[in-house]
Amino acid sequence: MKDEQEEAILSLRNVGVFYKRRRGIFGEQFWALKNISFDLYHGETLGIIGRNGVGKSTLLRLMAGIIKPNKGTFVNRGYYTSLLSLQLGFIPYLSGRENAILSGMFMGLRKKEVKAKMDAIIEFSELDDFIDQPIATYSSGMKARLGFSVAFQVDPDILLIDEVLGVGDAEFRQKSTKIMQEKIRSNKTIVFVSHQAGLIKQLCNRVVWIEEGISKAEGQADEVLKEYHQFLHLS
Amino acid sequence: MLTQKLNTLLRYIELILYKTYADLKAETKRTYLGFLWWIFEPIMYMSVFYLFFGILLGHKTDNYVPFLLTGLTAWQWLKSCISHGTQTILGASGLMQQVNLPKVFFPIILILTDSVKFLFILTLLLIFLWIYGYGINITYLALPALLIVQLLFAMAITFFLAAIVPFLPDLRFVVENVLLALFFMSGVMIRSDIVPEAYRDYYYWNPIVVIIESYRDILMHHNWPDGSALFLIAIISLICVWLGARLIARFEYIYPKIML
Repeated sequence: MKDEQEEAILSLRNVGVFYKRRRGIFGEQFWALKNISFDLYHGETLGIIGRNGVGKSTLLRLMAGIIKPNKGTFVNRGYYTSLLSLQLGFIPYLSGRENAILSGMFMGLRKKEVKAKMDAIIEFSELDDFIDQPIATYSSGMKARLGFSVAFQVDPDILLIDEVLGVGDAEFRQKSTKIMQEKIRSNKTIVFVSHQAGLIKQLCNRVVWIEEGISKAEGQADEVLKEYHQFLHLS
Repeated sequence: MLTQKLNTLLRYIELILYKTYADLKAETKRTYLGFLWWIFEPIMYMSVFYLFFGILLGHKTDNYVPFLLTGLTAWQWLKSCISHGTQTILGASGLMQQVNLPKVFFPIILILTDSVKFLFILTLLLIFLWIYGYGINITYLALPALLIVQLLFAMAITFFLAAIVPFLPDLRFVVENVLLALFFMSGVMIRSDIVPEAYRDYYYWNPIVVIIESYRDILMHHNWPDGSALFLIAIISLICVWLGARLIARFEYIYPKIML
């Protein structure tokens, strides 16, 4: 029998994705991803590094099952994958509590699950009585705190994180970054996308480097980051 | 595997219902009078027609006003579903970049919210008709079936338009004007016997005519509506709902790409 740790839970082979430059049936193809190959294993934290505009967000959308590849193969062996989205589906005129339920449900929780976690959400977001006020009356910091607290409760098999770890004012940013790093270091399967080599090095076991829609390297964090740095200095 | 699918389905139904509730509630919170607008707005709208036809054109005695209001109530429901529903998938582009959901959700949610508001207007219409002298009668039993037929018909058209509009956003302007043309051609304001004899058969090919006349049969004339015609509309609509849903499902992963 194969060890569970050994088999990849997500596999990409020569994956390409294009967008149309213009709306409609016509329009020139623009390949955001050209040739991406890598595997994701159970329990690891995989870092994806690359400069801005090399297709990292498209890659996340692909892994989250939002879009499909136009070429190559993408295999998800039955794992629920979701993108960490802050303030997903928030409606300004509704209360914090209602928005927390709605947002949590959009991210894959059942209503009763969000309700069961409501105390934790209120506590972590430090909203207290404000939770029953319409979020239109919130400051942007309060909204960010609520958004983070809800998103953090969602527990998919594979969590995809785009760049941002902490949000809100300085104090909450520290708190949310810390709890997020704890989650990343735990035994969860996580894909973390960033252009900051420092953060990736700190959090990830393995790294994939993407350049111009092509996966240039996959392997141990140190080695891949070294190649990435060499490339940056050359270009 | 099966329980997992069932679980997903339950989660989706729960989400659709909660989002419908949330949208309705958000709408009431946007104004001072809140949900009272679901009553005042149609009253104001229909008062305009009453003023024009009932008073200015002097149709006070020939039952034209209940005739017109019955037609308008049914028409407004259909029109709001189609005209709002057309934009739903296009309008959800932000959400669908973040999370993978069946895109058919969005027109369904819209149709549900508009149908809840319609129920308020229908209640008002019934009260008006009772006061006017058209009482409850045995043919009211056919009303739920008629409502379901109209719901299916609205869903069929809305699904198709919602599926196509993200590719052709310009279509929205065409839809508005086609709806205006349909308003004049679907017997909202005129009796079918005004239509020239030669065209009358064709006139009844318009399902909206059949639906609107059925409301008048039940609510005013105490006649059973044309069951076979309604049944035919229901069957064809049901097939089109299925085809429309398939069409949306076919573009499931294309929509997030074209609406960046």
